[in-house]
Amino acid sequence: MLKYAAGRLLTALPVLLIVSALSFGIVWIVPGDVAAEMAGPTATAEELARLRERLGLTRPWHEQLVGWYGALLRGDLGESILLRQGVAEAIIERLPVTLALTFLALAIAFVIGTTLGVIAAVRAGKGADRVAMGTALIGFSLPDFWLGLVFVYVFAVLLGWLPTGGYVEFTTDPLGWARSMLLPAGTLALSQMGLFARMTRAAMLEVLRQDYVRTARAKGMPGWIVVGKHALRNALIPVVTVAGIACGVLLGGAVVIESVFSLPGVGRLIVGAIQRRDYPVIQGGLLLTATIFVLVNLLVDLLYAALDPRIRHGRR
Amino acid sequence: MLKRRELGLAAGAAALTGLAKPGLVRAQARGTVVMAQQAQPPSLDAQVTTAQASRNINLHVYETLFARDEAANPQPDLAEGVDISSDGLTYRFALRDARFHNGKRMTSADVKASLERYGRVGGSAFIMRPVDRIETPDARTVVVRLKEPSPGFIAGISSPRAPCAIIPEEEAGKEASRIEIIGTGPFRFVEYRPDSHVKLTRFGDYVQNTKYEGMDGFAGRKVANVEDIMIRFVPEAGARTAGLQTGEMHILEAIAVPAAQRLRSDSNLQMHEMMPWAFQTLMMNHVMPPMDNPVFRRAMQAALDLEEIMAISTDGLYRMTHGWQHPGTTYFAGDVGKQLYNVNNKDRARALLREANYRNEEIILLGDSSFSNHQAAIITAAEQLRSVGINVRTVITDWPTAFSQRTQRTGWHMWALMLGIEPYEGPYGVVGFFSGHAPVQHARDEVIEDCQRRLTTSLAEADRKKAVADFQARMYDQAIAIKCGDVGIVQATRAQVRGYKPYRIPRMWGITLA
Repeated sequence: MLKYAAGRLLTALPVLLIVSALSFGIVWIVPGDVAAEMAGPTATAEELARLRERLGLTRPWHEQLVGWYGALLRGDLGESILLRQGVAEAIIERLPVTLALTFLALAIAFVIGTTLGVIAAVRAGKGADRVAMGTALIGFSLPDFWLGLVFVYVFAVLLGWLPTGGYVEFTTDPLGWARSMLLPAGTLALSQMGLFARMTRAAMLEVLRQDYVRTARAKGMPGWIVVGKHALRNALIPVVTVAGIACGVLLGGAVVIESVFSLPGVGRLIVGAIQRRDYPVIQGGLLLTATIFVLVNLLVDLLYAALDPRIRHGRR
Repeated sequence: MLKRRELGLAAGAAALTGLAKPGLVRAQARGTVVMAQQAQPPSLDAQVTTAQASRNINLHVYETLFARDEAANPQPDLAEGVDISSDGLTYRFALRDARFHNGKRMTSADVKASLERYGRVGGSAFIMRPVDRIETPDARTVVVRLKEPSPGFIAGISSPRAPCAIIPEEEAGKEASRIEIIGTGPFRFVEYRPDSHVKLTRFGDYVQNTKYEGMDGFAGRKVANVEDIMIRFVPEAGARTAGLQTGEMHILEAIAVPAAQRLRSDSNLQMHEMMPWAFQTLMMNHVMPPMDNPVFRRAMQAALDLEEIMAISTDGLYRMTHGWQHPGTTYFAGDVGKQLYNVNNKDRARALLREANYRNEEIILLGDSSFSNHQAAIITAAEQLRSVGINVRTVITDWPTAFSQRTQRTGWHMWALMLGIEPYEGPYGVVGFFSGHAPVQHARDEVIEDCQRRLTTSLAEADRKKAVADFQARMYDQAIAIKCGDVGIVQATRAQVRGYKPYRIPRMWGITLA
């Protein structure tokens, strides 16, 4: 298992190398720079040139490339031009918000999605199946952005149950934190809930047709044990793989949700940096997001191998 | 000094009311007012940035020698007034009593260091270019000596664009955006959480300018009646509106016009229309053929239905005015050029196209999606230009890309821009935009250059007014750029916010929370 994990980790390195090169190169391709943001629309060419010089934007690209990789090797992601703060520090400061949002959404999507999937599979072709799959389809089809605003209107403006946005630190007020995260996480979860439900239904339908399930039923084992203990465990293997992909999608979706609900997370940091061309943050943020994505996929692969020993022994 | 010119007339008049005794005034303050704005500040170093998002915060923390009043005219703020020599080369400022947030009393050394820093890092550093040297004969007097007359000097140092903020001398040696946030304003800085909020708190030792009776623009008497200010950064307009409705937010710096109309009957809310807020303009690149031909530019000027552009791009909150200065201000040039404003004559446009020998060259209209006004103005203008036979291609990008493109001499013919703070400042920024080494149209126009020279060097106001009128005439005659009209905005408050007066930025002094 350890050898398998080390091998998978090694394959991740070239991916990260490519991402780091792309994240450096992308800022040279995209027009505009942070000086435009700071100087304002009516700045003269002279004012802009002076500002660029002061911000170090006029250094040649090869000099900046060497600086970028040199700093990376030292674990330094550089300093944000606008925040006047280390990029790593800025990201680490915001990471708990994004990770909490992503994993809360993943948990909600997984629990409700697989439950809907199991119900749909067990009651395949019946009313419960149609309702469950219909719900999943709606969640899957609606855009996060629109859904978020609808939720704000219903749960904050009309009912007054939850805040419209903003973030409360868990350490300051755990209940306030939960209230501030519920709407964003719920909104983000809805799209992936449908994915989990459909995957679980398909996998369960296949497993429920297997001989060992028929045998278990023939032995007189209660239905909920057959479904919950024997069938679901095997059906979850492909669903776990989907969880890895969903995690990446949710990380991406967090960017939009953080903006709608004014959450100070990594997604909003990167979007703000792109809008204002704060290059070090864009570069560092992209690299970090890619690293998280690679690590989550690695984790899923390892989990997959743990669930199904045939994979780590290369027998599949 | 040969002649005294008192620029603090309003202050002087207020002084006669018996309120002129300066000193610390401690008021009972309570509550936290929450304001929401779309963007977060690129910097909290007031001197270096021209961003509106920064101004909203910084003008509560920092003060300037002179500041703009309700009508955008300069009035003394940290200065008691100024004596200007008749040759226009010496400005003697008497300072009022003021205290920094670190407890230190403001002296002339702080002012000198701040002005000198502004010349190095200021967002509008050009205003310090005429300065030869700054002297501090005593702790309460600053003398600025200019190399050449600069009648716009007071206008420049009083502008909120990138405020020429007075900071402690110890901070003035620091790089841009590296200073401690210490000013003399009625609120002091507490914390900045990027992507979340800035918190300010009432400065208990604030020295009010008792020469004034009440608030007056960014000058006047600033009384902090609320204990704390929380400025939240909420990028999504719908979320800001929802926050106002639920009471989580008390003040919105701007609310979408349709939302304002929808909520107008809500007794818990108050909508405050501000007109004018900005010019909606269409800038033209004179070095990209066929725009180098003034006849072709006049054809475009004649083809456009500016009222349609304004109606669509502003959701209906606009007014049709031709002036390159706001009506009612000192430099408004009356009807000059009005006959060429909003001509909307397609036949005339087609005739001018024939006269210009237009050969169906592609015309690139550049806009950005970051400001909805810009995008809508460009798309509407494109349709109108197509209708007279101009081969138009629209390019819509994000703001930094569009801005970067417009600084290039190629790749665009027409560019949509709202000019907000410049016309508010007066004529210097507006005329300066079309003159100098890098005019927006990329080709120097000698008549405009002359107007700029007369405006920035003439000591007589009448001459400067004439320069602005000549500038406006030239703008229309040569179709240098197109002014579509004036854009308004709506600020919104909860009904519990009392004493709120809409202005260029939402001001938190003078308000109370019921």
